[in-house]
Amino acid sequence: MPLELYYFLSITAVNILLSWALYLPYRVAHLHFITVANMAISGYAAAWLVMALHVPFGCALLVGFALGGIIGFVVSLFIGDAPTFAVVIVGFTFIFISRTVIENLKAIGGAMGMFGLPNIGGNPDTHRLIIMVTLAALLLIVGFLLHRFEHSSLGRAASAVFMDKDLAASLGVDIRRLGMLLQTVSCTIAGGTGVLYGFIYKSLHLDFFTFALVGIAMTIIFVGGYATQWGAVVLAPILYGVPLLFPPAVQEWRIVIYGAALVLVLVLKPEGFITRRFVVSMESFLSGTRKKRNTLSREEI
Amino acid sequence: MQELIAQIINGLSLGSIYVLLVTGFNLLLLVAMIIHFSYPQVVVFSMYIIWSVLQLTGNNLVLGIAAGVASSVVLNLVSAPLFQKVMSKRGEVDINATMVLSMGIGMIITDVLSHSFNEGLPVAFPDSLSSFAPIVRLGLISVQVGQVWSLGVGIVVVSAIFLILYKTRAGRAFRAIAEDPEGARLVGIPILRTGLYSYGLSGLLGGIIAVLLAMLLGSASPGLGEQVAHKVLAVSIIAGLGNLAGGLVVGLLLGILEAIVQGYISGSWSNAIAFIVMLVVILAKPKGLFGTRL
Amino acid sequence: MKKALGALIVAALILAVVGCQQPAPKEWDIPFLNSLTGQIASIGAYLEWGADQAAKEINAAGGISGKPVKIIPVDTALDPQKGSTEMARLVKNTLVALGPVPEPVIMAAMPIAVENGMPSITATTSLEYAQKFFPWTISWFPSTQDRLAPLVTAWAKQFSDLKKVVQFVENYGPWPGMADAHTAGLTAAGVRVLDPVEVPSDAVTFAPLVVKALNEKPDGFVFVCKPGSAAKLIKELKSRGWKKMDHLLLFSSADAPDLYATGGTDLNGAEIYNYINPGIDNPRWDGFKKAYADSHNGEQPPSLSTNYYDAVYMIKDAIEKTGVTGLSGKLKAERKLIADYLQNVKGFHGIMFDWDMKDGIPTNKPTYIFKIQDGQKVLVQEVKQ
Repeated sequence: MPLELYYFLSITAVNILLSWALYLPYRVAHLHFITVANMAISGYAAAWLVMALHVPFGCALLVGFALGGIIGFVVSLFIGDAPTFAVVIVGFTFIFISRTVIENLKAIGGAMGMFGLPNIGGNPDTHRLIIMVTLAALLLIVGFLLHRFEHSSLGRAASAVFMDKDLAASLGVDIRRLGMLLQTVSCTIAGGTGVLYGFIYKSLHLDFFTFALVGIAMTIIFVGGYATQWGAVVLAPILYGVPLLFPPAVQEWRIVIYGAALVLVLVLKPEGFITRRFVVSMESFLSGTRKKRNTLSREEI
Repeated sequence: MQELIAQIINGLSLGSIYVLLVTGFNLLLLVAMIIHFSYPQVVVFSMYIIWSVLQLTGNNLVLGIAAGVASSVVLNLVSAPLFQKVMSKRGEVDINATMVLSMGIGMIITDVLSHSFNEGLPVAFPDSLSSFAPIVRLGLISVQVGQVWSLGVGIVVVSAIFLILYKTRAGRAFRAIAEDPEGARLVGIPILRTGLYSYGLSGLLGGIIAVLLAMLLGSASPGLGEQVAHKVLAVSIIAGLGNLAGGLVVGLLLGILEAIVQGYISGSWSNAIAFIVMLVVILAKPKGLFGTRL
Repeated sequence: MKKALGALIVAALILAVVGCQQPAPKEWDIPFLNSLTGQIASIGAYLEWGADQAAKEINAAGGISGKPVKIIPVDTALDPQKGSTEMARLVKNTLVALGPVPEPVIMAAMPIAVENGMPSITATTSLEYAQKFFPWTISWFPSTQDRLAPLVTAWAKQFSDLKKVVQFVENYGPWPGMADAHTAGLTAAGVRVLDPVEVPSDAVTFAPLVVKALNEKPDGFVFVCKPGSAAKLIKELKSRGWKKMDHLLLFSSADAPDLYATGGTDLNGAEIYNYINPGIDNPRWDGFKKAYADSHNGEQPPSLSTNYYDAVYMIKDAIEKTGVTGLSGKLKAERKLIADYLQNVKGFHGIMFDWDMKDGIPTNKPTYIFKIQDGQKVLVQEVKQ
């Protein structure tokens, strides 16, 4: 695989996973920015385990997931059913705390960052293969879980909470538990993603995990479509890839073009490109096509 | 003791920046139900317009200030229809769509400032507008003109906005349109004109804030708005969305807290500690310290 | 039949080899991974200008080995994601590159260059960053400890009344290490270094920090923070009655247009150290200054603007002295030749002075202490390592 394609695909995968990690709590109207802090914490923790204690990458990755999940769970005990704005403040707080702690910890490089994360598997080609396979597996697993979630009673409960919290509560939805579940899973995904992010670059720097990353994920969700997981899948590669193709004169104004495109899409299609209605109709179409095929085969028999 | 008093004064000065920005932020919430996350960037843009006009006119303060205020009003009026379009439910604060839209606007503003003004370098205001010379100095304690103006005007502005919105007919009309446009139309409030006035008012406030920040800080840079945007949003949430008086109190308290932490603990921990305190407050009082006013 | 088939196969192979051999390139394309948009776009712009100016001069004098050189701007926008993807694209066919700028993008992109054996000159970062990527880059600066400690000692020894100093330190990249080197230098000069004052990276007002510093009753200050922050700290100090301007020392990374744009005449009298002396009298530097002034409304070139100018000339020397051809079939070998040359250059003619490299580290670059006066730097003393 060409090297630039590897970086494009792997970073796009990370952006999709981060967007999904934000999407999940947003199903109950929580903007859970703590996910970026989770990425940083788990990324640095796993890198330290690998470099200082020679822990195998697989174990370090699991630790990253677990750390994200634990942090997410503990925090969710307090904000599982908190208003949206409280959740926003929690996210900001954790981003600032994680940055300050990391930049003051010499053991993990402090403000300089961590250099020279080793190749998994001993050589660059194996490293890239393992990263791609892991990311692909993670995308499939998380995507599948999200899909099952959407088509389950939990997903319907989340939609009810999003539309009207009080009504959802009166219908018997345990808002706190649902919020806790979604936040914990979200942070778990973010933790593992952070580990992979660090190993894609084979180095870590605080400026890999800034509010700009929050901005990217928010844009992917809201422009891609906040009502369905597929928006992130469609928009992440476009958002990342299209600007790379701009000629130099246009590159200079990339951010203005990007901001203008964001504003235009939000104004013209407030739900984003991929709406829930579109997904439902696609699913009906596909299941209709399957029914027709099944019917034909019976007729043929 | 002298150091403590000096830090409290410094904190009030820093807090006045938050108060000014939060007041403008809350005004937009109250008259338009929008979360303008990038409101500080709009104010910084006006600061740059002031600087540009001062450069062109040989430091003519009247023209510079007028241009800054006008640019803020124009920017608000231009962005108004965009915000109104994306709000899915009128009468309710739509944090998500409006926040992302304002982020897009903020990105454009910051990048334009990085490209097109002073080659992306910071701009410094002349001494006639901004002077660091103290009017009172006693050891470590120092009070500057800009600090007095920004705090004083900040309090006056909050009071004035409060009076306008809650004690005048026009203010009630602004809030009626924001909360229930159909209902407002039914009772005969001219929607378009009143809506324009409300955005114009927030633009006017933005221009005044730009002038005061120019006096207080003495300079501006393209990234200045982004540096304070998170804290402005946080202050508004902690105080209670739309709560003008709450924004005043919490803004000043945050400034004092940051000054005390920077002065006695550690500069690099000031943001983290400030947000931890805000976090504890919001967990204890999710609707804000003083309750929302929406 | 068999013989005919064999001849056919041999002929096909010969054709394939000949067909695969690309002709030599018509020009030397040198990509420059730079932050042309985003928060440090203004810095990226003059770094780019310096590299372009070198290319212009080289082409006017006949090019590199008779072929013109072209600097290809590659905007990384201070974004590690973009930086890594762009570097991955470049390592396919690029002989040698410039950048990346700044440290977060270096961290993301340089491992790719190292893995693919492509030299890329990072001429604006410290040795502590650059050496992690040796031998595929070089350091533009000697070791922080070796370089800064004697420099600060020399500064401190100017003042008999300088007994206690406070440092304003921002926690970014190599800056805390530089502050430690300052401490060593000040201690060597018999100066007591008081507790440092940490400068938050997003500070908007600086009065609390200045009050904290003044409360320690120092005789002088050293500034290890962003240029804009340093300027505002100095303005705040002055507003609180600080008079001994020459007892203020700014570090080299503060010597940027932001400092002068923000600080203006309030900086007059403060001292600053750096590696280039704008007062040097030589035709190349005079030409550079004039060209910069002509294209920038009469402004003087910032201190970093010569870094990539010199880097392009260093690449020219590397190509010409090692006989590099630019043929794609020899890419790997020629990259190594260039990297090896850059690591141990002898007597490189920089725009301001000549210097040597030993294992990627410059060995004899001078450093200077200046006094700031009306936005200009006036030489106080040259300090040899």
